[in-house]
Amino acid sequence: MSTELPASGEHGEKAEPFDVLDPNAARFELVKEALRRDGIEILHYEPRFPVPGTKEEKRIVRTISFFFVLSGLAALGFIVAYIWWPWEYEFGGADTWSKWYTPVLGALLGIALGGIGIGILTWSKKLFPVEELVQERHDGASDPVERRLTGATLANIGDETGIARRPMLKRALLFGAAPLGLAALMPIGGLIKDPGDALFTTGFDAEKFNGGKPVRLMREDGTLVRPEDVSVGGQITVFPAIPGGATLKHADSPTLLIHLREPDGAEARANAYEMNRGSQWQNFIAYSKICTHVGCPASLYEQQTNRLLCPCHQSQFHITDNAMPIFGPATRALPQLPIDVDEEGYFYAVSDYKVAIGPAFWEREKK
Amino acid sequence: MARFIAALAFVGATYTAFSPGIYADEPTDAALTLDAQKGKELFDQSCISCHGANAQGVDDRGPSLIGVGSAAVEFQVNTGRMPMVRQEAQAERKPPMFTPEEAAFLGAYIQAIGGGPEVPESVDLENLEGADIATGGTLFRVNCSSCHAFSTGGGALSSGKYAPSLYPASSVEIYQAMLSGPQNMPVFADNQLTPDQKRDLIAYIKYIQDDQAQGGWDLGAFGPSTEGLAIFLVGIVALAIATLWIAGKS
Repeated sequence: MSTELPASGEHGEKAEPFDVLDPNAARFELVKEALRRDGIEILHYEPRFPVPGTKEEKRIVRTISFFFVLSGLAALGFIVAYIWWPWEYEFGGADTWSKWYTPVLGALLGIALGGIGIGILTWSKKLFPVEELVQERHDGASDPVERRLTGATLANIGDETGIARRPMLKRALLFGAAPLGLAALMPIGGLIKDPGDALFTTGFDAEKFNGGKPVRLMREDGTLVRPEDVSVGGQITVFPAIPGGATLKHADSPTLLIHLREPDGAEARANAYEMNRGSQWQNFIAYSKICTHVGCPASLYEQQTNRLLCPCHQSQFHITDNAMPIFGPATRALPQLPIDVDEEGYFYAVSDYKVAIGPAFWEREKK
Repeated sequence: MARFIAALAFVGATYTAFSPGIYADEPTDAALTLDAQKGKELFDQSCISCHGANAQGVDDRGPSLIGVGSAAVEFQVNTGRMPMVRQEAQAERKPPMFTPEEAAFLGAYIQAIGGGPEVPESVDLENLEGADIATGGTLFRVNCSSCHAFSTGGGALSSGKYAPSLYPASSVEIYQAMLSGPQNMPVFADNQLTPDQKRDLIAYIKYIQDDQAQGGWDLGAFGPSTEGLAIFLVGIVALAIATLWIAGKS
């Protein structure tokens, strides 16, 4: 960009080039010059209200003022509500003031921000002058002159580093930078951990968690489970009766204990896979609660149709046929827990699950 | 003629003496209380076509009611699920055909002929004051929420069946449903959840239904899908209109 030097002393006339430093230049002329230097041309420009103080103009000014005042009032209301509105949770019923604390704050802040926004937008749309501007844009590639100049500059910087002439620097830089990149990858390595047999065992593993003694079944509150606790057509969620058995530490262990009707129990026994034979205790049957698809709790038990449903992706398992999937995306049966009742009358797990519970993983078949 | 009358009298007297009485082949009647007898009359008019004589069931139409107990009968009748309009995936809640009194008669009859679970007198379901809502909440999340949803609004099951919303259910109806396991609902008998635990559970259900959502309008508390759809439809439309207004030529 070449600078326009004051070429002549004349002013008041549209001189080409325009004298920017002329102390008498009108401000709008300077604005026009600024636009011109950016390649912008004014096609049309007129005030919105050529005659000031008309009814229409006053009405719009009042509207904008209204929004600003509304915003201010709402903001004041917000401050008042924030400090003095009863916010502490009160028990019961819908008719307490505290229940409206969050909605009131939200509404007032919304009105305050919205009021400012609408006011400013209305101002710029309704009061600013009507103008139409055009800015030239070049088509296609950049100017060949610009391209040549830029290319030369970049190549010159490369030459200045002298990297082509100084191979030692090049190798040293490579040695310095490459391990730095590897160092950045290290935190990912921290996420890799050998799970051991954790994926193949649950809290019902007697050797691992109970000193070799068979693990009993318990409810979430720690009480042990007896057969008479579950009525025919009923089900109950049970956990391994070990310390922390019902906590997330053993999140792989929740099991559904179902008391089938006599004919259904017989059907389940007749259908049992080799692996599941003898796993039932009378008409009680226990399946892992963790869906073999992606591990949601498959615990929607239909006691008439003997189906277990998973709520996440609508997989359905047939309880009297080894909990085989009969609908939905799950492809493997829910693992069955072999159960029995000890001499004290409590349920216990004869062994851990025979197959890994839950969704599939790469090494699942290796064991 | 005199001989004929004498013969008739003899035959009549013999018949009266030796023939079984008209009601004698239904000896249960004598054992039934007055309520149960009234229930039997209602049963024989309205229920017998599907549940069969003496409530023993009819194949492919209605199950036997022996042993289901009065809780099941009163639940089904008072919520209008029974009598069913037609055989379909699920008996729906509808305006009841019988008054609560008649339902109690039917319950007494079924109780008398087969026994079964009843709502214990000792548990106070009218006044839930003092019930442990926190315990009830834990029990609800463990036992009920998988089908009836965390908000008690219900959800879908397989093949057209569904777990109904708990909003219209009264305290006693919820108790009866847990006790009897209507349709595909599992049974939660009093040995699995004690009457006190059931009362806590009911108190919790009533509490979350009455408690106002802290965030304002909960859109039926169906969860993120409804809320996502609502904010998409309402929010995006509002934003589109706002952008059009800002960009539009005045």
